Amino acid sequence: MKTVKFQDKIALILFFLIFSPILFLLVKSFNQDTESLQYLFKNLLLDYSINTIYLVLITSFFSLVIGVIPAWYVSNYQFEGRRIVDLILYLPLAIPTYIMAFTYSELLSFTGPFKITYDFLQIEILGILLAFSLYPYIYSVSRISFSLFGSRYYDMAKNLGLNAYQTFLKVVLPLSRPAILSGLFLVVMEVLNEYGAVKYFGVNTYTIGIFRSWNSMNDSGAAIQLSSILLFIVAFLFFVEKYFNQNKRFSFSKNTQLASLIKPNNSVKFLIYLICLIPIILAFLIPVLFNFINIFSSYDDINFERLLNLTFNSFSVSLIASILILIVSTFFLYNEKISKSKVYYYINQFISLGYSIPGAVVALAVIISVTSLDNLDDNIKLLGSFSVYFLILVYAYIIRFMAVGKSPIKSSMEKYPDSYNNSAKNLGLSNFKIFQKIYFPINKYAFFTALTLVFVDIMKELPITLILRPFNFDTLATQTYEFAIEEMIPLSSIYSSVIIIICCILLIFLKMFLDKSNVFRN
Amino acid sequence: MKNYLILFFSLVLLSSCEENNSNEINIYSKRHYQVDIKQYENFEKLTGIKVNVIKAGDDELLERLKNEGQNSPADLFVTVDAGKLQKGVEMGLFQKIQNETIDSNVSDDLKDINGYWIPITYRARLIVYSNERVKESELSTYEDLANEKWKGRLLVRSSSNAYNQALMSSLYANLGEEMVTQWSTKVVNNFARDPKGNDRDQVKAIAAGQGDIAIVNSYYIGLLLSSEKQAEVDAGNSVSVFFPNQADSERGAHINISGFAMTKNAPNKENAIKLLEYLTGEEAQNTYVNNSYEYPANPKVKPSEIVQSWGDFKRDKLDLNALGTFREKAIKVFDNTGWK
Repeated sequence: MKTVKFQDKIALILFFLIFSPILFLLVKSFNQDTESLQYLFKNLLLDYSINTIYLVLITSFFSLVIGVIPAWYVSNYQFEGRRIVDLILYLPLAIPTYIMAFTYSELLSFTGPFKITYDFLQIEILGILLAFSLYPYIYSVSRISFSLFGSRYYDMAKNLGLNAYQTFLKVVLPLSRPAILSGLFLVVMEVLNEYGAVKYFGVNTYTIGIFRSWNSMNDSGAAIQLSSILLFIVAFLFFVEKYFNQNKRFSFSKNTQLASLIKPNNSVKFLIYLICLIPIILAFLIPVLFNFINIFSSYDDINFERLLNLTFNSFSVSLIASILILIVSTFFLYNEKISKSKVYYYINQFISLGYSIPGAVVALAVIISVTSLDNLDDNIKLLGSFSVYFLILVYAYIIRFMAVGKSPIKSSMEKYPDSYNNSAKNLGLSNFKIFQKIYFPINKYAFFTALTLVFVDIMKELPITLILRPFNFDTLATQTYEFAIEEMIPLSSIYSSVIIIICCILLIFLKMFLDKSNVFRN
Repeated sequence: MKNYLILFFSLVLLSSCEENNSNEINIYSKRHYQVDIKQYENFEKLTGIKVNVIKAGDDELLERLKNEGQNSPADLFVTVDAGKLQKGVEMGLFQKIQNETIDSNVSDDLKDINGYWIPITYRARLIVYSNERVKESELSTYEDLANEKWKGRLLVRSSSNAYNQALMSSLYANLGEEMVTQWSTKVVNNFARDPKGNDRDQVKAIAAGQGDIAIVNSYYIGLLLSSEKQAEVDAGNSVSVFFPNQADSERGAHINISGFAMTKNAPNKENAIKLLEYLTGEEAQNTYVNNSYEYPANPKVKPSEIVQSWGDFKRDKLDLNALGTFREKAIKVFDNTGWK
């Protein structure tokens, strides 16, 4: 009999650790009273679900428009300021959705500079604001995809008599569909789980329903059941996306020459600036300037010692959690790659599911599972110390954001053929050596991308941090939120600005790093 | 890789270097006002007892308390809604607090009749009206907000909001299901727009002419008037405050409290009592009223000047635990009458 390998044992333990709270949640949802659930189904759920679908559609539509089209122009046209435009188009990812929502409702309110009073199109406006924060997910994948097209595709399109517009619609978009869909998937997940901005806008979505049953109907059971349903829906969507894209992953043959950048005439140039500047101004410059200007109006109230402290907290917890996520997701993906076992494939699917559950419910699941361990025996006394809560917090982040870290690493690893490790094995290298000598260097851009994306996400994260944090542990995000819900936006701006600045710096680093890698043409 | 690991472990070490102080109090707090930080610092200076706080939503904190069970490090739970304190009592999370100093510090009619929670401040959910378009004499009671004359003129936030849920619970307790359902149906008909935004936004909407009257919490008017933004001060000045249900035959305006409860297994019980004695005492009560524009639970202390300028008012004497016991019924009224 084959003995179980050391790394398989580790994998089993890690899988159990990551998946058990989710499993706990699913099991618990079956032995709950269904009274509240029935009430919700009868009275609200249809309405809430329609709102959710509508919001998802609007956000998806606008994210696609301001994600795909600028990515197309930046990838294919040469114009002045192209690199800086390219850079800034990523940066709205640094702005949390709730800050985007608060900023615009303040700007558009009566006491804002425009004195606009709008009472219509609530869902539509919210959808657009969410798109402002989320479109970089689509922009980034489109950029990579569009940059990889060889000139051969364009030559062929030209020979077929297609103009630029037709080439884009009939050749480029279908070929980039898998990449764009993977970005869109992240956008949809974020919208499904959005709470702060949605609540502020008074739009009742499915996630609001989850919290309504928990907070208002005093029933955490119904919240657990609703989350489980959401989990199944997302798992289903996941499956559908996989199924349809199964045979549509294109590998771009390396020997095609990349198409050179087109020099646009003046009217096209004008169009390009117009299209690129809309997201830059609306999704980045306005919210950033608004926050910076607010800092000055509340400058006297800033407690710099506290600011430093919170920055350290945010930074350290985000860094620790994102490094752990990087290690764990690499471990699983690498094992999937080197062992031919299907088990790892399924493990990798399952550990991504945490991303589909609202943060607060992940927190609930974690606290239920950790405390039930604590209550098993009187001698176990886990709770109370700072470090234990700190670890619980990090643990919950890992469950929630594993999928974000996995996705770039997975797509990078898929690009390389299995023959690499076969030849390495023939040379007698151990698995760890193969990783160290081959997989780490060739995937380093993906690792850095994963690290940055997860870091930025955790830096912005709110519900898990609020519920699971240790005593006296405030972060930039929690402080921003506390001021904002107390309707003191100016006071919150210094904290939100620091979030934005740190995340921007990281994204700029990432971009410069990737540029060096020639992922993009320049 | 190796460097990452070293970095990670050094950070973990760093974060666990927290001193283990037994002379402390652990609080789970829904309140996240700046004034609270000040209060706890003052208390620490006075007594040497360190106050540790975790701030999150009240339902989330109650859930955390419930799951932590007897191993919970928390001594006190504080929130801004008697209904949630009642919920915690019902979940069996708290113990009674008996202490003469605290008892003599707090107004009798604000106290928990069961002795579980201690109020520290209270706020009224009142009506504000446009100085231009509404005369004070047109207003009278919450019930009158259902009157057709307010059609298209009433502003209020969504029913997901805890303050509205508490108000609806109090109306349910006072009027009964049938009347409160009729009332809510008519009130929804009177909405100037679909509910959105927070309390301040309703006042701003009056200033912008989107509606004429709004239901808001008292302290937000204080915060608007003391804002550093002139536009907000202007918005605050464009409205006046009206306390509903003040006639002799009426029950008084709906209020809610901020209050503390002690957890069942509070590890630092004595310290917790000391803190509550301090917070209900005159010094701390003055700090509360002048920073957060709430009303003091201690009758010897006067509200802030802005708040005093609105005059005294009669409080609804309803047992505040009703804000919890009627909560679920209140939510159903919202749902059945289309209050979003």
